[in-house]
Parts: sequence; C-alpha cells; structure tokens
Amino acid sequence: MAFRWSRWSPQLALLPAVTVTAVAFVGAIIWTIYLSLTRSRRLPEYGIDWSEPLRQYTRLFADDAWAISLKNLIILGLGSALAIVFGFILAAMIDKEKRGESLFRTVFLYPLAVSLIVTGTAWRWLFNPEFGVEHALHSIGLTWINFSWLSTGETAMYGVILAAVWQSSGFYMALMLAGLKSINSEIWSAARLDGVNLFRLYTEIIIPMMKFTFVTCAILLSLGVIKAYDVIVAMTNGGPGQSTYVPAYFTIQALSAKGNLGFASAAAVMMLVITAVIFLPLVMLTAWQQRRTGRAAH
Amino acid sequence: MSDLTIAQKMLGGEVAVRSAPYFPRKKKRITGRSIAIIIFLSICAIFFCVPLYVVIITSFKTMEQIREGAMFSLPNVWTLEAWDHAWNSACSGINCNGLKVGFWNSVQILFPSLILSIGISMITGYALALWNVRWAGGFLFLLFICAFVPFQIIMFPLISMTAAIKVYGNVWGVAIVHAVLAMPVLTLIFRNYYKDIPQEIMSAAVMDSGSFWKIFVEIILPMSGNILIVVLILQITSIWNDYLIGVTFGGMGSQPMTVNLANLITISTGTTRYNDNMAAALQTAIPPLVIYFFVGKLFVQGITAGAIKG
Repeated sequence: MAFRWSRWSPQLALLPAVTVTAVAFVGAIIWTIYLSLTRSRRLPEYGIDWSEPLRQYTRLFADDAWAISLKNLIILGLGSALAIVFGFILAAMIDKEKRGESLFRTVFLYPLAVSLIVTGTAWRWLFNPEFGVEHALHSIGLTWINFSWLSTGETAMYGVILAAVWQSSGFYMALMLAGLKSINSEIWSAARLDGVNLFRLYTEIIIPMMKFTFVTCAILLSLGVIKAYDVIVAMTNGGPGQSTYVPAYFTIQALSAKGNLGFASAAAVMMLVITAVIFLPLVMLTAWQQRRTGRAAH
Repeated sequence: MSDLTIAQKMLGGEVAVRSAPYFPRKKKRITGRSIAIIIFLSICAIFFCVPLYVVIITSFKTMEQIREGAMFSLPNVWTLEAWDHAWNSACSGINCNGLKVGFWNSVQILFPSLILSIGISMITGYALALWNVRWAGGFLFLLFICAFVPFQIIMFPLISMTAAIKVYGNVWGVAIVHAVLAMPVLTLIFRNYYKDIPQEIMSAAVMDSGSFWKIFVEIILPMSGNILIVVLILQITSIWNDYLIGVTFGGMGSQPMTVNLANLITISTGTTRYNDNMAAALQTAIPPLVIYFFVGKLFVQGITAGAIKG
C-alpha cells in the first residue's frame, strides 16, 4: 500500500462525505447555535446584542408551550417505555414457545413498516369521538368507558402514547429476541434440571444478563421520543390547544408557523442538549463494552 | 462472559441445595403453559391487527354506513368509491388531484435519494474500512455523533443551503436532504460490513496493481450483495415513510405522499370523509407493507442495523 496513487484516491473518495459532514452537520449546527444568540425573526440577522445574548433562551423558558413540551417529552418517554416492557414479554414468550414464531413476529413488527403518518391516521380514526371505538363500546352497553382520549387535553397524550407503543413494541421485541437467543442454552436446561421457577429465572438471571440490550433499547427509545413529530402531526396537530406539544413539534411550529427564527433556533439547541445528555451514556457504554470484550479476548 | 459464569455459579448453588433430581418430561405434547402462551400471544396479535382491520374495512365502506357508527362491522356494500376518490380527487391544501400526485412525487424522490445516499455511503464506508486513512477513527466518531443529531438543529441552515443551490422546493432538494441525513448511518453500516473483509484479500488486490476504484468495482462491489439489499430495503421504506423532510423541502409542488395524506386528514373543510382518509392511508402504506411481507427478514435486519450501528 505504499504506492502514491493508492494514498490519494481514498482521501479523494472521502471528500464528498467529509464535505457533507463539515457543511451540513458541523457547519449547520454552529450556524443554528449562532442564530439562537441573535434577534432574528423571519429572516436571519447576524448582529448579536452582547448586552443580552441569551435573550431567546430566557424567552424560551418563560414560554408556557415550551414548558408543556418538556413535560410531554417526559410523559411520552415514560409511557413509551411500556413498549420495552411489552416487547420483552412478547420476546420471552415467543422465545419459549417456538410454535408460530414467525407468524407472531411478522404480526408484531408490521406497524414498523408503515409511516407514522399512517399510524397516526389509523389511531386518530379509532379515537374518533363520534364513530370510533368509544361509540362501538357504548353501543354494546359499556357506556362508562371513555375512549375519545384525543379530544381532551388531559388524555390526548395517552392516546399518542398508545399509538407509539403499538408502533414500536415489535421493534423492541426484535432486539430482545436477538438478546434472548444469544443467551447460552445451557442456562435453560440447567434451570429446568434444577426446577428454578420461571419468574425467578427471568428476574434474577435472564434480565440481569440482558442489561446491555435493555440499556440499548432505553437509549434508542429516548432518542426516538425526542424526534417524535410525525405522529403528533397526524394524531393531534399539537392540540387540543397546546396540550400535545413536544419539543420537536414546538421547534418546527416556532420556525414555520410563527416565523421566529432566533427563538426556534434556541429551542433546537435545547433539543440538541437533551440529545447529548442521553447520548453521552451511550458513548461511555459502548467504550466500556469494547474494553470489556477486548479484555475477555473474545 | 462474566455474566454467564456468575449465572452458572448461581445455578450451581441451587443445584447443590436441592437434592431431589428433576428430569424434564419429553415435551412432545402441548402443555398447559404452551396453550396459555399461545392464547396470550394471539390476543396481542389481535391488538396489533385491529387498527389495520378497521382501516381496511372503513376504506371499503360508504359514508352512510360509517355514520351509522358500527366501526368494527364489515361493509354492507363493498365499494371502491373511496379508493378512487382518495387516489384521484382528494384535496391536499388547495389542490384536489388526489394522492396520485404525491405518489409520483414520492417515486421521483425515491430513486435519486437511493442512488445518492447509497453511492456516497458505500464508497465512504469502503475507504474508511479498507484503506489507511490516518484520521479515519476521528471521522467515524464524528459520523456516529451526526447520526443522532436532531433534524431541527440543522433544519434552517439546510433550507438556506438548498435555496442557494436552487433545489429548494423540488424533488431534487428532498432527495439531496435525504442523502445527507442518511449518510452517517449508512456509512457506519457499510464500514462495519467491509471491515470484516480479510486484509489478505486487500493486500493481494493491491499487489495485483489494483487501484482504489478498480478494487472497489471488481472485488468489493460483487461482495456487497447482502448488505446492499438490506440497506436498499431500509432506505426505500424510510424514504417512502418520511414526512418531515418532504414537508420541509418539498415546497408546494413536490410533496411526497405522506404529506398529502397528512394534509388530507388534518386540514379538512366541511364534513370529513373518513372512508377517503382510510383509503388514502392504505395507499400510502401499501408499498412498504408489500416489501415487508415479502422480505421481512431483511427489513428487520436493516432497521436493527440502522438503529444499533447508527
């Protein structure tokens, strides 16, 4: 590999990717951070008022809709975590009972193949206060059930969570199934030989063994929650009122509907900060895992 | 590995405590537990299928029957009226030409996006994995970070850039942004695949006076069939299902199908035609669903690779 041409071609081939990274990612992030310090409204202004450079952030944290967005982000995160639990239960059952494995897998994963706009459309229809599931339940006498969750601000977020869990459980099931399959089969036969009850086997042995899978799922879920936008648009459009605002929706709303560039940039920077807070443990985890497998001389 | 030994020790301890040997029955017949599990899984499967079922039957109903309110009952008269209406004359904003407009936009967005994103990531992944690039490690780490950056933080700059090169608001703008946003993840996927190619093959190829591009075309490309198909499926579904990039960069005339669907269901004047909405949703969902039901395994490989490596 000491030939001259073989030294330069790879670098040349990397040029497009390096340019894209430098301009569209690094450059763009710096640009947005800069804009968040300016007073830009509809059009960018590049003068920074140094007496008050953080004024957009001050405004952001005084904004009620942003407070709602952050609260909803946490609610959505905690609620969607059910998808991991549900995914694990499904995976454990499919793993134990081999019959029908591929059929169940296919059914549990198909929501992932369709657009979140389609998912939102379907659930919006199921939650329809006039003709939806509520109406169907009321007509068979279950009139005490309230299922038009999307029409009131208090319950709308739970409707979004239900749709999100429906959409993503299959994904976590697939990850968990991969994790379960990598567990040494001797554990199962040893446990059976020993008559350890299943509950204890899972809580004390299997789940601790799968902690990396769980952490990975949790991080992927958190990153997905921050990006949640499509499903909100399709199901509630942020409403009723502003009750289903999330940061991703808030930011785009500030930019496109309110035309407030500096303010939207500040919200976007906060989204980046939240992502970084979640992302940091992932980097440390990967580094730690690599060191660990390196030491074990895999 | 250490987890495994701990677990084995724990189990070993249990074995020592319990003296009575326990021999598992030969499991040929269905046990009660199996039946319970299958019933539970079937109930879950029904939960997963209900939305699809409701969407399908609603799309074949007439509005009169929908107004009667029996959501789960089959259509009295199966009609393709809503399908026709959604495809040919449903409104998206002020244009009432149906979802077919969005469908063709999506197709036009799809092909350039695929070629751009896969082309650039494949070559980058190849160069990073198999050639000595001194700053490869740092660049990979940077790509790893870029893969997680929320779209909103680069949204306005990308709008300005695409406007500056005169592609904002047409299919090329959408395609280029798709390629840009997919590049980090796809590069990592390709790089992880290529780095397992034995160094001997590369050395031999270089000895054979193969140049960077010659080796790529003659040796690497024929070896990338598996990963290429996985990435292709991952990209087709994610580009088709995308909403945010389409609505931001599509302008008025080049909006993909998902944007038309969202406009149809959210901005509705007068009475909402639910059967049209459901037919439109199905039309948008059919291409990725077909892919999923035919090559589901590859689809799952793609999304897990994208999620974990990305």
